[in-house]
Amino acid sequence: MPTTAPQASTATILRAAGVRKSFVMGDTRIEVLKGCDLTIRPGEFIAIEGRSGSGKSTLLHIMGALDEADDGTIEYAGRDLARESSSARAGVRNCEFGFVFQFYHLLPELSVLENTMLAAMIENSWFSFRSRRAELRDAASAILKSLGLEHRLKHRPAQLSGGERQRVAIARALMNKPKVLFADEPTGNLDADTGRQIMAVLEKLHRDAGQTIIMVTHDRALARTADRVLVLKDGILKNADRTPSTTG
Amino acid sequence: MYKLTLILKYLRKRRIAWVSLLAVILCTAMVLVVISVMGGWLRMFKEGFHGATGDIVIARPGSLSGFPYYQEMIERIEQLPEVNGAAPMLRSGGLMKIGGYRDVVQVVGLVPEKMGRVNGFTQSLFRQTQNADTATNQPSFKLPLPADEYRAYADRAVTDPADWPGAIVGTYVIARKNEKGELERPAAAYRLPMTITVLGIDEESSSVDINNKVQRPYWVVDDSRTKIWQIDDKTIYVPFELLQKDLRMEAFGDAPARTNEVAIGLKPGTNLEAARAKIRDIVIDIAKARNLPMEEIDGVVALGAPVKVMLWQEVNAKFIGAVEREKVLVTMLFGIISIVAVFLIFCIFFMIVVEKTRDIGIIKSVGATSAGVAQVFLGYGLAIGLTGAVLGTLAGYLIVKNINWLHEMMGTLMGVKIWDAETYAFDTIPNTLNPNEMIVIFCVAVIASVIGALVPAIRAARLNPVEALRWE
Ligand SMILES: Nc1ncnc2c1ncn2[C@@H]1O[C@H](COP(=O)(O)OP(=O)(O)O)[C@@H](O)[C@H]1O
Ligand SMILES: [Mg+2]
Repeated sequence: MPTTAPQASTATILRAAGVRKSFVMGDTRIEVLKGCDLTIRPGEFIAIEGRSGSGKSTLLHIMGALDEADDGTIEYAGRDLARESSSARAGVRNCEFGFVFQFYHLLPELSVLENTMLAAMIENSWFSFRSRRAELRDAASAILKSLGLEHRLKHRPAQLSGGERQRVAIARALMNKPKVLFADEPTGNLDADTGRQIMAVLEKLHRDAGQTIIMVTHDRALARTADRVLVLKDGILKNADRTPSTTG
Repeated sequence: MYKLTLILKYLRKRRIAWVSLLAVILCTAMVLVVISVMGGWLRMFKEGFHGATGDIVIARPGSLSGFPYYQEMIERIEQLPEVNGAAPMLRSGGLMKIGGYRDVVQVVGLVPEKMGRVNGFTQSLFRQTQNADTATNQPSFKLPLPADEYRAYADRAVTDPADWPGAIVGTYVIARKNEKGELERPAAAYRLPMTITVLGIDEESSSVDINNKVQRPYWVVDDSRTKIWQIDDKTIYVPFELLQKDLRMEAFGDAPARTNEVAIGLKPGTNLEAARAKIRDIVIDIAKARNLPMEEIDGVVALGAPVKVMLWQEVNAKFIGAVEREKVLVTMLFGIISIVAVFLIFCIFFMIVVEKTRDIGIIKSVGATSAGVAQVFLGYGLAIGLTGAVLGTLAGYLIVKNINWLHEMMGTLMGVKIWDAETYAFDTIPNTLNPNEMIVIFCVAVIASVIGALVPAIRAARLNPVEALRWE
């Protein structure tokens, strides 16, 4: 375990160091990430920009404990996620992180409200969910209401427009009050207007609630909405925030 | 919590799940019906044979001339505390002529008054016991009608028809089933004259002597239904002494009277084997004193056709064994069909997992563990198994309970008749269920469904969430 300076960890919520990842496709081995370093402070809104296929999603998945790096560390709240068990990582995804994907990824069989409550359903056992149901339902409804979806609670994803689906996906990501929100091309599947609405939602979350957001996009204009923009190119993050404490 | 929600949603919304549910229902019902019918058949078979045979039989298989000194045996056997009664029985092939109809029959000579304490023969009689008007515990061969009536019906006879003896016939000798499956007896069923021809048996060579042909007229006085078709179709019961005489087995000069069998009825709850041992001791005793070939005396096995003391199961071993093997065979066949159902569930679940790959990625991305995902699919299998087993057991129960009605409907609507009394020995299909078998079949159905879901569940659990999310 690398020793970490105490003052740095108080100012850091999530840190990636030396992250490498390659994929084998047939005979060829594609090195997608060749050592990425990134430190995120609480409340930051970070955008990672890069061309399609540059490995942005891969990096986001690794930082979000969805995927494992070949090498490097992902440090979250003093824990190295790469060394945690898969069920511990599942717990982090459930309670600490939230994900918004380009293609919404809602469960078609569940209603808007049920989709929103998914993280809470996973977190709670049947009994604790039953006893907290009213409270959780209110919380989910409140989030949906804040996203302008209060009239859509009983609908199925298939009955919604793209922008509405993405707002449901955001609501689902926010359900368990995540410390870090990961957004992978959240507007990539939407028209310009709807995309702007979604961006407005993210900005508002960041500004009003101090939500830490890591967003990935291939759109330079969108990236500029963030506090800080990094570029992923040739497997390396440029303009990366290299605080003195991370070098080691 | 999500597991239950997803299971319920998938159950309701996935059409394909209904197919696996249907497979479980059908297989459960099918196996239950087959095991119940075959098991019921086997039990009816055993009960029928037990009732027709008695508990223990002394016989000399392979010999036509039977064995002597049976009165002595009966006398001593009847003194045993566990014995209810013992009676001699004769069996012979014969020729029956009734109206213009002739057939080869089995002629059984018996002492009717003794049969009530030996086996279920009395209960099988229609006129004398089952027909409430003439019910009696003392069945007999006595002619039920006034003498003049018989004389009127056989006016050209040489001997006085009122003196002819009575005979009891197997039900199907005189009765037929109508389309509704009810037994119909002719109006003059118990005024029917018939002739039985038997051949006397030469004691010395124990062979049939063609010159000893005896033809005797009888009146049908009753019919016996043991419910075993092979018995009821072609058996004629006549008075023991008459048949003994006709077969030349009565006492003659120095030669003692002989019989083919002694049937013994035991008191209820008696241990068969223990009783057999005691009866064997008596028979061995007499065999030693009278120099009879006994199956085994002092460790020496007799050759030829020795006298044997057999349990009722041994007497009917050929029939019972065949039915038992058939039950095992059919159950195995349907068990194999049920394995196909497990495979079907496996395939359907695999399809569902493939189809739901992205959903699996989604719930994993929101924090579901691999174990949790596996539980969703195992729970799904369990839900299908439980629902299918409940409905299948219910369906099987209803089918078995109404199987004779269903069979009749099939007969009238489609002209299909599967259950044939000639093949299956019984005129109705057994319709009883064994609760233990029901429980076992239920549990096997549930377990099989979970097993079918096991491999797909493991595959789902192992899915990498990122790859699952990329799934198109
Ligand atoms: N599971 C995989 N197997 C093989 N190659 C992959 C896999 N996942 C991603 N890649 C490849 O890695 C590269 C980066 O992918 P990705 O992170 O999705 O890029 P981006 O999100 O920047 O468009 C692409 O060339 C892609 O084809
Ligand atoms: Mg991408």
